[in-house]
Amino acid sequence: MAKARGTDGSLLTSLPWTLAALAFAFAPHVPFVPAWITGAIVACAAWRYVIEKRRRMLPATWVRAMLALTCFLGVLATYSSISGVGPGSALLAIMAALKLLETRKRRDQYVLLFLSIFLIMSMLLREQYLWSLPYMAISVLVVFTAWLRLESHHAKGARRSVATAGRLMAYAAPLAIAMWIFFPRISTPFWAVPIDTSRASSGLSDSMSPGDISSLSMSDEVAFRVVFDGDVPAMRDRYWRGLVLTRFNGRTWTGREPSISAEARAQISVSGDPVSYRITLEPTRQQWLFALDMPVSWSLPQTFMGPQQQLARVTPIDQRTVYDAVSHTEYRVATALPRLYRDWYSDLPEGSNPRTARLAAEMRAAAGSDREFVEQVLRMFNEEPFFYTLEPPPLGSDPVDRFLFDTRRGFCEHYASAFSVILRSAGIPTRIVLGYQGGEINPLGGHLIVRQSDAHAWTEVWLDGLGWYRLDPTAAVAPERIELGTREAALDGVGADWGFVPGSQWLYQMTLTWDAINARWNEWILGYGPENQNRFMQWLGMDFPDWRKMLLTLVGIVIALIMLVSAFLMLRYRPPPRDPASILYNRFVRRTGIAPRTGETALAFAARVRDSQTLAPALVDNVTDAYLQARYGPDQTRAIERLRAALRDAA
Amino acid sequence: MSSIPWPFPDPRGIVAALRSGAGRRISRWARKRQGRDPVTTTLQPGRVYILPTGVGVVYGLMTFAMLLGSMNYNNNLSFVLTFLLIGIGFVAMHQCQRNLVGLEITFAGTEGVFAGQAMRFRVAVTNRSRSARYGIRLYCAYSKTEAEDLQPGESKVFVLPVPTEVRGRLRLDRFGTRTLFPFELFRAWAWLHMDLEGLVYPAPAREVPEPPPTMTAQGHRQHDARGEEDFAGLRRYHEGDSPRHVAWKAYARSGQLLSKQFAGADTSSQWFDFDDLPQADVEARLQVLTRWVVDADRTLMDYGLRLPGTEFPPSHGAAHRRRCLEALALFGADDS
Repeated sequence: MAKARGTDGSLLTSLPWTLAALAFAFAPHVPFVPAWITGAIVACAAWRYVIEKRRRMLPATWVRAMLALTCFLGVLATYSSISGVGPGSALLAIMAALKLLETRKRRDQYVLLFLSIFLIMSMLLREQYLWSLPYMAISVLVVFTAWLRLESHHAKGARRSVATAGRLMAYAAPLAIAMWIFFPRISTPFWAVPIDTSRASSGLSDSMSPGDISSLSMSDEVAFRVVFDGDVPAMRDRYWRGLVLTRFNGRTWTGREPSISAEARAQISVSGDPVSYRITLEPTRQQWLFALDMPVSWSLPQTFMGPQQQLARVTPIDQRTVYDAVSHTEYRVATALPRLYRDWYSDLPEGSNPRTARLAAEMRAAAGSDREFVEQVLRMFNEEPFFYTLEPPPLGSDPVDRFLFDTRRGFCEHYASAFSVILRSAGIPTRIVLGYQGGEINPLGGHLIVRQSDAHAWTEVWLDGLGWYRLDPTAAVAPERIELGTREAALDGVGADWGFVPGSQWLYQMTLTWDAINARWNEWILGYGPENQNRFMQWLGMDFPDWRKMLLTLVGIVIALIMLVSAFLMLRYRPPPRDPASILYNRFVRRTGIAPRTGETALAFAARVRDSQTLAPALVDNVTDAYLQARYGPDQTRAIERLRAALRDAA
Repeated sequence: MSSIPWPFPDPRGIVAALRSGAGRRISRWARKRQGRDPVTTTLQPGRVYILPTGVGVVYGLMTFAMLLGSMNYNNNLSFVLTFLLIGIGFVAMHQCQRNLVGLEITFAGTEGVFAGQAMRFRVAVTNRSRSARYGIRLYCAYSKTEAEDLQPGESKVFVLPVPTEVRGRLRLDRFGTRTLFPFELFRAWAWLHMDLEGLVYPAPAREVPEPPPTMTAQGHRQHDARGEEDFAGLRRYHEGDSPRHVAWKAYARSGQLLSKQFAGADTSSQWFDFDDLPQADVEARLQVLTRWVVDADRTLMDYGLRLPGTEFPPSHGAAHRRRCLEALALFGADDS
């Protein structure tokens, strides 16, 4: 079946708009897809447009088949898989480009517009910035304008198409908002598809090897934001507990895969006032959750506490996630630890870091008790020349030995690791907690911003009678790191040497404002999940909101809004106002009792009325003249008045 | 209809039969519900029907898939997009229906055609509202028109061609108007059952015997035959009379249009008589007569037509032609 491949320029009214819709839908993908895909889609679009403009032939079937095969192999080669948002949108874009080359009829463009919508959707799955919403609205407007152009047979009137599409979108907007608010959110996904943003995640890693990477990123990226119900805890209490590392192989600390522990929560005993707060966590693609040390309850479903009191969710945090939690800054954990566990937590590989082991043995022998020994070690870090720096020299083999005796420069990971190794060498159980410390208060939003640069590692030591006790050797070396946060610490230390000055106050203020807006956006728009929705429903006055009530409300509101739209349209299509002259004249016609003939002029009718002698001839002439004046005369308002007066006289 | 019966049922035929059966039932229901429409009908909301189109179904499936995707990713911005599209779907449905409601539809007449030609029913559609209506189309079982836009107050005449096969009255029981505006997601339509009727004349026969000779040639002297030799008097002007025969002086005097009548030897008036034709078949005879009438009308000869029960004395002109053709079209019909 040979298909006709000729073009006749009939698509010139709609094709540019379809191309514009595709361009709008595809533009946000450009940074993510390989350059050749962008090239392919631009080339195909230009090629297709030139074909239409010059009335050329579409490429032959075998050319298109070859192109299709090449492109699909290209996608396969680039991504090595075809599931997920990244390869998915690359495939969509390629399909659109190839479809363009076989678009011959007006109706073929429907496929292109559907593809545009899917491209917009995958853009939203990728990025959810503040500007994504207006950009999406504009893209949808362009898509629906193109849609209208498909049916329009006239080259002119593009502006009218934009206006119509905009009008219909404006009608639909309240419906969309109502559905968005009331559509019940569920917390668990049906299936997990990796959302590939092609951007390295800058969260915490699952292991720690001090000395391997010689510098820590000073990324300003936000890790999470916190809104406290009451006062913000003091800086030194702001330890955000994440994952816990328990095993050391002489070089690298590792933890365990997240696992549920029944007694972990029971091991915690608390005192003092609880701190309740809400965290908006940026996606980490890991299972760990962060909470103020020590969390006792949390609101996120499918979330559990691991054996070392670390929080994790069953599925990775692929989306920005909001959860509430309650913590106690004064607590005791596992005051009784079985012998077996004590050995396990103080296990070290045979023969690694020998100098450290010797030092520990000497110090333990000198100290009277475990507790005294621990204090001695901390004092050593504090009094001997140890330096806090974000750019420490690399360490070779036996990194703890090299660090403690040679370089003595490092950041939290080095200190936490070295401290733990010394204590373990003396048989004291330790574990390392990775998380964040500190955070910056945004005075505009009233929330706390915790950035990636606030990442921190500290040690927990088990002491008889005390249980697991947090000891931060970094605080002993560089108390300002704990009291002020990394930013100031770094600027004070290395930064000042290099002539770093903090940005201007104005810029700083701007950054904070932007952050405050973003925080609201994140919390209420992007983070509008089951918890937020529940709260909003309660605020609206719905008791015990559940999905049934919400769906019912949704249906009710949507029906009401649709009726409103219908009424609006009815008003739009109402008949035009009849002019007063014809209303008055009709009254006169009724009074004559004579039916006007089709096409009869007012004068001819007047003649017939005069002949029939039902009304006074003067009146007939007067009314007819006034009516003609009102219709065709120069001063129509006066003539209408005259007509009204004439009829009043007759009555 | 008149195909050779096939021993095995054709599945496509069964589907088509079921569909057309359902279609017939639905249209009977609509007909009963709406009653017969006056010649000028304004579409009321209750009689504008609406269903999604193929594009609309795809659109619905797409929004459903997007809803599932948004729920899966719990992505609030794609929820916004999904709900915006759903909202646009709802709005499009109402817009589509409102695009038809309130249109004024008037039968604007038709002209007689010969069997085999297409009868062109003219229907005027008027937009009596403050907003433009887009993509309005008329259709019937046999044809559909192009889609047209109607500005406020604008009226457009649509022509619905209907093929004809046999002479007689042709009724168009039902026609409709429909629209796909705005996004072709929905098709709104209204059925109209007006008295749309046209006359189909018999198809002129292809091969005809020579028409019967004129009266003169037969040796008769016709008392009312009109030639151009001797002035025989004046009569009221008939449509189709030659302007050369109009008594312009008399018109100037009285303001009445009169035609001059002549009597003369050279009259060429003919009688076309149904009973004189040798063919046995009534239809064949009518076709021959039709041919003669059409040909005679072209040559501007006077001709008379004699059918069993009716007689049209010799004359000529468009009105005479129409009267003759109407009689031929309706010959034997119950109501004539």
